[in-house]
Amino acid sequence: MIPGKYRSVSGRSANNVNCGLHLVIQTSSLPEKNKVEFKFNRDSPSFPGRLLQHDLERNYSSRQGDGRVISPSPRNKSSCISSTTNLTELYGLEMKAATSSLSAFGDSSIQTPSKSRIRQGCHSAGPNISGDHINLVSSSMPSFPILQRSSEEKILYSDRLTLERQKLTVCPIIDGEEHLRLLNFQHNFITRIQNISNLQRLIFLDLYDNQIEEISGLSTLRSLRVLLLGKNRIKKISNLENLINLDVLDLHGNQRDVDNLPSLQRLFLSFNNISSFDSVSCLADSTSLSDITFDGNPIAQESWYKHTVLQNMTQLRQLDMKRVTEEERRMASVVAKKEEEKKRESQKQSLLKEKKRLTINNVARHWDLQQRVANNATNQDRKDSASPPQDPCQTEGSTTSPFPEDTGAVDSGITSALQGLSVIDTHLVEVDGDTLSLYGSGALESLDRNWSVQTAGMITTVSFTFIEFDEIVQVLPKLKIKFPNSLHLKFKETNLVMLQQFNALAQLRRMDQLTVDPQGNPVVNFTLWKYYVLFRLSHFSMQKINGTEVTQNDMIMAERLFGILAHVASSELPQYRLISILGDARKKQFRYLLETKGKKPGIVNEENNDSKRLVGENTNRATLNYTTREFYNEKLEDIKEKKKFCKMYIEDLMKEATEVNMKNEALQKLWPQMFIELVRDAVIEIRNKNSYMKLCLQQITDQK
Amino acid sequence: MLSPERLAQPDYEYLAQRHVLTYMEDAVYQLLENREDISQYGIARFFTEYFNSVCQGTHILFREFSFIQATPHNRASFLRAFWRCFRTVGKNGDLLTMREYHCLLQLLCPDFPLELTQKAARIVLMDDAMDCLMSFSDFLFAFQIQFYYSEFLDSVAAIYQDLLLGKNPNTVIVPTSSSGLHRQRPALGEAGVPEGVEASLFYQCLENLCDRHKYSCPPLALVKEILSGVQRLTFYGFLGTLSKHPGINQALGALPDKGDLMQDPAMDEELERLLAQVPGLAPAVTATPEPGCPPSRTPPRVGSPWRPLHHPRKVDTESDGSTEETDESET
Repeated sequence: MIPGKYRSVSGRSANNVNCGLHLVIQTSSLPEKNKVEFKFNRDSPSFPGRLLQHDLERNYSSRQGDGRVISPSPRNKSSCISSTTNLTELYGLEMKAATSSLSAFGDSSIQTPSKSRIRQGCHSAGPNISGDHINLVSSSMPSFPILQRSSEEKILYSDRLTLERQKLTVCPIIDGEEHLRLLNFQHNFITRIQNISNLQRLIFLDLYDNQIEEISGLSTLRSLRVLLLGKNRIKKISNLENLINLDVLDLHGNQRDVDNLPSLQRLFLSFNNISSFDSVSCLADSTSLSDITFDGNPIAQESWYKHTVLQNMTQLRQLDMKRVTEEERRMASVVAKKEEEKKRESQKQSLLKEKKRLTINNVARHWDLQQRVANNATNQDRKDSASPPQDPCQTEGSTTSPFPEDTGAVDSGITSALQGLSVIDTHLVEVDGDTLSLYGSGALESLDRNWSVQTAGMITTVSFTFIEFDEIVQVLPKLKIKFPNSLHLKFKETNLVMLQQFNALAQLRRMDQLTVDPQGNPVVNFTLWKYYVLFRLSHFSMQKINGTEVTQNDMIMAERLFGILAHVASSELPQYRLISILGDARKKQFRYLLETKGKKPGIVNEENNDSKRLVGENTNRATLNYTTREFYNEKLEDIKEKKKFCKMYIEDLMKEATEVNMKNEALQKLWPQMFIELVRDAVIEIRNKNSYMKLCLQQITDQK
Repeated sequence: MLSPERLAQPDYEYLAQRHVLTYMEDAVYQLLENREDISQYGIARFFTEYFNSVCQGTHILFREFSFIQATPHNRASFLRAFWRCFRTVGKNGDLLTMREYHCLLQLLCPDFPLELTQKAARIVLMDDAMDCLMSFSDFLFAFQIQFYYSEFLDSVAAIYQDLLLGKNPNTVIVPTSSSGLHRQRPALGEAGVPEGVEASLFYQCLENLCDRHKYSCPPLALVKEILSGVQRLTFYGFLGTLSKHPGINQALGALPDKGDLMQDPAMDEELERLLAQVPGLAPAVTATPEPGCPPSRTPPRVGSPWRPLHHPRKVDTESDGSTEETDESET
């Protein structure tokens, strides 16, 4: 951060700080995520002292700039770049600013630390230099060393004492130094603050980088204004009640709860490895907090960072040293609202997704059940020993077992919310971009819906899952009308078992991709299925089958394998059969349409024409068509009836014919005899000419 | 006077036996089905065409199973149609499963029962699993026997079962059967006895069956020839031999000899013509005329062998094996 910025900030902060407390909390070198938790309890007693803190990060870098800390601290960051002058100025400025607002302090007392700092910056070349002038003598008390300084030293630095990097494990007894204002214990191993209660004039106490676990032994240091306890093991801020003059309390790099700070106004949490807002969200409860920094934390990189903070901490006036404007606040609330909506949306989405999953599961279960029933039926029908043991097991293994597992993983709340719905739903229709997915046979009814032209036009892929292929066949004419742009058909668990079933697809307008999932479609196991598809649907000039590009060789192969079939089917089929089959095909389509939406003659007619056109396209193989089981059985019934009639008719005809024949034969047999008899009679009659003439005359006269 | 029954009966029976009635019924049914269309081009024309198609054997294409199996002629026609349409599959060397063959059958006859296909496959596969792969010729000849002599084989199966159980299937039969019966019984009791039934006894039963059987039976002389060559045989062993017997195939007359099974020059020529029309075929062929074009353009393509397309196929090696088998039987 550039110093100029900082300066202006600290200058501004002076206004806000009045009765505030600055806290610098920085956990810099902890590799694991920051575990710091902040709890603000307003009911607990407040600090009598006003603690003013400043950002230690900057403090240290400034010190480094001074040359006081030579060994580079491992946690140093970008702030190293700051120049000495700027920082000392900065430091002084901040101190001044702070003091100017704190009426309780006298001018002299304020100047001292800053001055001393500057002076130290000029005089001391390194931290260990003080070791040359200071003797640590073992005291009479076994555990505490006694510190003694030479008189020159005392005169030279009467108000300061630096005990940096002395490998101290305890605070030494410092005698005869009651006028000390600055005491430095940086980089030692002190575990407890002791033996300094006599230094009542102390203003600046630096205990940075020690092993102190508890804040104690400071109650007498009423003049203390700066207490640096960074990089220690302090877990809790306590025993500061008497330090009424404390401005700066640095606790960065500790593991502690910041507790009971009802008047905390400024909180610096820079570079604390805070990666989620949740871990600091409790700060939002603080009404006093007006200035906070999170820069250098992972959360500050997030897109939601600023508005989330502002939205949750409406009391903030500054964030990351920048004034929060009304505009920003408004933006934040807008964004937050949007965020909220988005969240709700995504929740809805996931709910939908979950519902979809459950529905699909349910559909799968239904399908499974249906399949098994059908299987059993066919097995009972024909006792074939080979297939039954395989099929049910297979389906059982694949569909039922994942089902309970899946539900187990679901959030129980959502499950309970969905359970009611999903049990009822036995089908699912989903439009996702250019894909229309249909699950369960009930979903086919959706084709009757009034799809918007736009949606319908966008659909290029239609996927069928858990639907009998025979049922799909019946809606294909509708599909053709409703989704004219559908180019890719997908089938999964649709009981495609026969090559002839592909014939049904020929009636579509166009198709350039076909995907038949092996799951639930045994036909895919056939060596020839792909070639048959290519052959039968050659008029579509398909691009891909099951994701594999169709090659020229495939086309030729298909033709080689089935070309003769087509030839036989077209050229050798007697005329009357051709008429009958093509007529059937037309009738069938007509009927599918009629059955599904009876009252739209316009479309039906159009459809009819269309099918005629199509039939013209590939007369070669148009005779190869597919009739669904149901219709076929119906047709067979019909045939049976008609045949019965024909049989009776022919029987009658035959009887008549044979009877005629028999009579004829009988006549033929009798005729020669009869003829002779007739001739003989005639001859006998006319043998006596006279009597015959008389007889004739008699007859003539009788007539008159 | 002569009794009309005595005169009528033979006529009617004769017609029924020769299946003339079946065809007449069917013709009338066809007429009934498409009366509007047919009346347009003349009923006399229709009948001519109908009986022509019956003669040519094209009348069974895409018909319902009940019709296809109604007469021996229909069966033979169907067998021939199946062979003609799917010879190319066999030629390509694909080995297929029973179910796939069944699908092919269903392309010609949508309601062809699976049972028959299964039985035919059983003849080929014997004791192997039903999903084993079969070569086209193996399946076709087994299927021929099974389909054409379906009823006969059912009866044979029953006889065979009876013989296995030691029962005498034809109680009317001559005393020799009892001796066979005696031999059969102890054989069943032991564990390691040879399978099947005794051939001569079996033949006697079949002879008897053929006498009584009103459906078509394979020529008895050939059956005798088959059965005289062995001591004992199993049911499927018998069927297998039956299906491979060239004489039976000739007697049936629907299919060419095994060696010539892949030959059908007329159709091959037709196929080449069709291939030339495959859309987007190499530039040389792009100018292929409309479907109705005369086959004059085909000569350059006629020479194109099947081989190139063979290579990418996995079953190739296996198919070669099966054709070898064919060649052996040929020589």
